Amino acid sequence: MAKKSPAKKAAVKRAAPRKTSSVKLASVKAPRERAPIAKPAADVPHAVDSGKGKYVYCVIQSADLLKFGAAGIGDNGSEIHTIHYRDLAAVVSDVPLGILDSTRENVLAHERVNEIVMRDHTVIPMSFGTIFKTRDDIVQLLRSAYDAFGDVLTKMRDKMEFGLKVLWDRDSVVKDIEDEDEGIHRLKNEIASQKGSTYFARMQYGRAIDAALQQRSERYGSEILDRLRDVAVASRINKPIGDKMIMNAAFLVSRDLETAFDSRVKNIASEHDKLTFKYTGPWPPYNFVNIRLKLERV
Amino acid sequence: MAVERAAGGTSLIDVLDRVLDKGIVIDAWVRVSLVGIDLITVEARVVVASIDTYLKYSEAVSQSVPVARPALESRPYDEIAAENQALRAELASVATARQSIPRQTTARRRRPGL
Repeated sequence: MAKKSPAKKAAVKRAAPRKTSSVKLASVKAPRERAPIAKPAADVPHAVDSGKGKYVYCVIQSADLLKFGAAGIGDNGSEIHTIHYRDLAAVVSDVPLGILDSTRENVLAHERVNEIVMRDHTVIPMSFGTIFKTRDDIVQLLRSAYDAFGDVLTKMRDKMEFGLKVLWDRDSVVKDIEDEDEGIHRLKNEIASQKGSTYFARMQYGRAIDAALQQRSERYGSEILDRLRDVAVASRINKPIGDKMIMNAAFLVSRDLETAFDSRVKNIASEHDKLTFKYTGPWPPYNFVNIRLKLERV
Repeated sequence: MAVERAAGGTSLIDVLDRVLDKGIVIDAWVRVSLVGIDLITVEARVVVASIDTYLKYSEAVSQSVPVARPALESRPYDEIAAENQALRAELASVATARQSIPRQTTARRRRPGL
């Protein structure tokens, strides 16, 4: 059942081959196909309610009450505090009870808080937009998933995520291919010199170019991955966005190898003048933690 | 080319790429998985009981959800039923009307032959 990918809309992004060993913690409900329809309406009460809710940013390990300043979601930057169950803490702030829009401000505030907390703690990031009505609900969440959260926190300890996107200038690569690949070169000349219909030659040419591009992008991708393998704990390949991107990866890196990873990325980038590297981080380990919880009422 | 590292929160696209559907997600699945080098997937029944909560999903922005769905969902049953009935009535009247059409068509077709 581990093969039944947890990915829903993320399915496309989960292109990485997953050598998955499955450890079952407890009995699992027969995994059902995720229905495309979202929650039954009963689970999402009316958007407008006068009360206050608690927005959850992430889960960390801490038995002490913590405060992280007024950096939260909302106009005046609500106070970031923690709600505890044993040694686990949810990092939260008060928000109006209601459905939160994923506006630029809100999404960036979510990320900003995670980054602040990350400075001194290992975080399990919450996906955007989860609001609980009461403190007790959050305690209940921490209690119910206590073992799972603890396990993930242990595995993520002292690790950070980095993003690496690699782009190329497709047109200039096509030119290179035309120059270097004899078959394609010949086809191109054929099309240029041929009288009458070049339909078939053009079809052939297009296919050959596509294949060559694909091959090159794979070669770059696996080369870059290989060279980062010993400085990263794990990697995940997401689906490239747009036709200029040839690699969209995330790496999990140990804190003590951060510098090594950093200089390795820079080295690789300096050796490829035809590729553009977009290197970001540190991130909370979004790409390496995937916890899906089911809510049930008693 | 030279590359500099940009902090996480500087690119909205990179943020959206992560925060909307990754990390802890509360939804229909009961699953805890870690994508690690040894790629351990842990599945656990983590039932959060008695939680009365608001959930906002990324679906509004997610490409996987048809834009029209919310509108469809929010329409009350009665309204749809009424529309359904109206459409049936219309269909019936069209069907009745059609019975006369073929005759006209045949008539018209015959005319050139005459």
